[in-house]
Amino acid sequence: MGIDVGKFLKSPEFEIAITTYRDIFQVEALEYDRFGEEYRKLSAVIIMSREDMKKMGIKTGDRVKLINDHGSIVVEARESKREEPGGIAFMVNSPWSSALVSDDTGGKGIPEFKNITARISLTKNDISSLENLIFNSGEVEKNER
Amino acid sequence: MPTVMELYKLLPKTNCKKCGESTCMAFAVALLSRKKKVSECTPIIEEMFKKDREKLESLLLPSSGAGETGMIVHTELCTGCSNCVVACPVDVANDPRGAGTGGAPTNDKVIFRVVDGKVVASNIKECRRFGKNRVLCYACIDPCPTGAIEFV
Amino acid sequence: MITCTGCSLLCDDIDVVIENHRIKEVRNACRRGAAKLKGCRNRLRPSIDQTPADIDTSIKRAALILKNARSPMLYGWSNSTCEAQSNGIKLAKKLNAIIDDTSSFCQGLLIEKVLKKKFRACSLDDVKNKADVLVYWGSDAQDSQPRHLSRFSYFPRGESRQRGYEEDRIAIAIDVRESNTAKICKGHFYRIPLKGDREFILSLTGALSGKVPKHDAKRILELADIMKKAEFGAIFVGIGLTYSIKDDVDILVALGDMLPNFHILPMVGHYNMRGFNEALFKETGFVNRVRFDSTAVHENKYAIVEALKQKSIDALLVTGSDPLSCLPGSMISYLASIPVICIDPCVTLTSKISKITIPSAVSGIESGGSAVRMDGKVIELSGIVENNYLADTEILSRIMEEL
Ligand code: SF4
Repeated sequence: MGIDVGKFLKSPEFEIAITTYRDIFQVEALEYDRFGEEYRKLSAVIIMSREDMKKMGIKTGDRVKLINDHGSIVVEARESKREEPGGIAFMVNSPWSSALVSDDTGGKGIPEFKNITARISLTKNDISSLENLIFNSGEVEKNER
Repeated sequence: MPTVMELYKLLPKTNCKKCGESTCMAFAVALLSRKKKVSECTPIIEEMFKKDREKLESLLLPSSGAGETGMIVHTELCTGCSNCVVACPVDVANDPRGAGTGGAPTNDKVIFRVVDGKVVASNIKECRRFGKNRVLCYACIDPCPTGAIEFV
Repeated sequence: MITCTGCSLLCDDIDVVIENHRIKEVRNACRRGAAKLKGCRNRLRPSIDQTPADIDTSIKRAALILKNARSPMLYGWSNSTCEAQSNGIKLAKKLNAIIDDTSSFCQGLLIEKVLKKKFRACSLDDVKNKADVLVYWGSDAQDSQPRHLSRFSYFPRGESRQRGYEEDRIAIAIDVRESNTAKICKGHFYRIPLKGDREFILSLTGALSGKVPKHDAKRILELADIMKKAEFGAIFVGIGLTYSIKDDVDILVALGDMLPNFHILPMVGHYNMRGFNEALFKETGFVNRVRFDSTAVHENKYAIVEALKQKSIDALLVTGSDPLSCLPGSMISYLASIPVICIDPCVTLTSKISKITIPSAVSGIESGGSAVRMDGKVIELSGIVENNYLADTEILSRIMEEL
């Protein structure tokens, strides 16, 4: 996998709250080709407030690793173009954000798609590919156990 | 008017010659002088250049019809929601039973219509911002949350 | 004129230009709809174990898998016609299978309340003709049901709303994010913290009965005042609100009861999710999560998410949905370990891990039928593009014949 451990250790980790939303341009890309470049570009992104990015030392275009007990992904960070109070980041609904969603629903069957917490840090790793998300999630899980 | 450089930046820059010009730069010049159409660049029709293509088309809009009166539609920002179609007072007056009540336009007299999920402006002379009784109308800009319509 | 299946507004005023059995130009549909109507780039082909097969063999093998399964589940349905859905319910009965749909982790909770008449409901045409106060709550219609505001709620002129939206209507957005819908609502956007919906409802119900709210008192009192004075109000409940109050939906019923002029309408995404909920409700009294045995049993363990988590199903038929693209990532490994039968017009994430794939016609474009709009109105779908694909309805019938 080629994880640069030194780099990884140096970048500090922050707790982050993430909620998901829908974006019509991403839905359009999904309809056209869910394996396409456009869909990946519009999905593998986390939108953050300017203050949060400053605090965490993240700039637009940086690759960030998001990790929690349910999964780990690499996406691109982008500054929100809207006025944001901060404290919360946004991702569109997609296999990328879903990788971080817990399957524990307290027996009720409705996962917390809109209420995700994860740790965020800068990374040099590549943006997670769709293939990675579909085909390797099982392996990663097995290794961890 | 866009500059040649602005147009060039949005082209694939591969000098593939499929458009009949020898370089992408030459094609940009031809685009600006309207000797060529964006669609003649076959590689740009492909999905990966979609945003660029839409940007190019909207840059070129001003002098192609609608733009004579200063209206620019930023196609790449448009979601095709039809808010402008329905809110434009000219559309309401000219098509009260169609556009005026939220439906698809039922005649050719409307200013706005949506084609392939993006708004297209025509009959632009009817716009309230022009002519001798002009008013500073914002009826199509206000309901657009993405800023896809602009007057210059 | 055709019907768009891009979302549950089922806009039926769409014109298309067809060339070489494909839609070349779409008029009047929004960006989302145009993309859906023009269709996907990668059509699905029949396959068994990820190697090409002919469609008849695929169908036979699918039937065999379902027949031999101890606990099969039939899942998806929100992008299927009513006809396919009713065939699916028949198939589930015949197999004593579990049947569930995407509403299971989406708007099912609310649709159930609507069908049980716990909310005052109305049609979207009523909204257009009468509504003066519109509340988008946890819903970004502009991006999910893009023509909602222009066709039905804020912008159109209606019978008793003739003067245009600036004078006749007030649109309000309550959301965690300043969505495109919130931008349109400008001065009437209420930003709430994540999971803050419950508290906001409590402050609002308090304000409606004259109590001064603890936070943001001025604006909440103002909102309560607007809502009290409404002649005909509508609350459009998006998935944001539903997720946030999923453990206590009755709090929304209580709010509805305090506002006699208001109507509550769940916002549905996929074009025929409500159709499935209505069909199953008619048959069993439940909107989703049902297992057929001698009777229909409804339990949370029959929800797709729970069934996969508890690894309690041993075969899955998927149609009208791509569960792999939306379920929590950690469920994928179990899903991939059981035989999955995927019926879809397009290559999907799910089809990539499926044991059997069966291509279908694109419903509403290549095959006709009907669907239920988000407000309950039945809309006809047109099958206008000639093609050689089987409709999902036919595929399900053929599987039944093979059993
Ligand atoms: S609003 Fe929905 S049904 Fe209407 S055109 Fe858009 S996607 Fe299609």
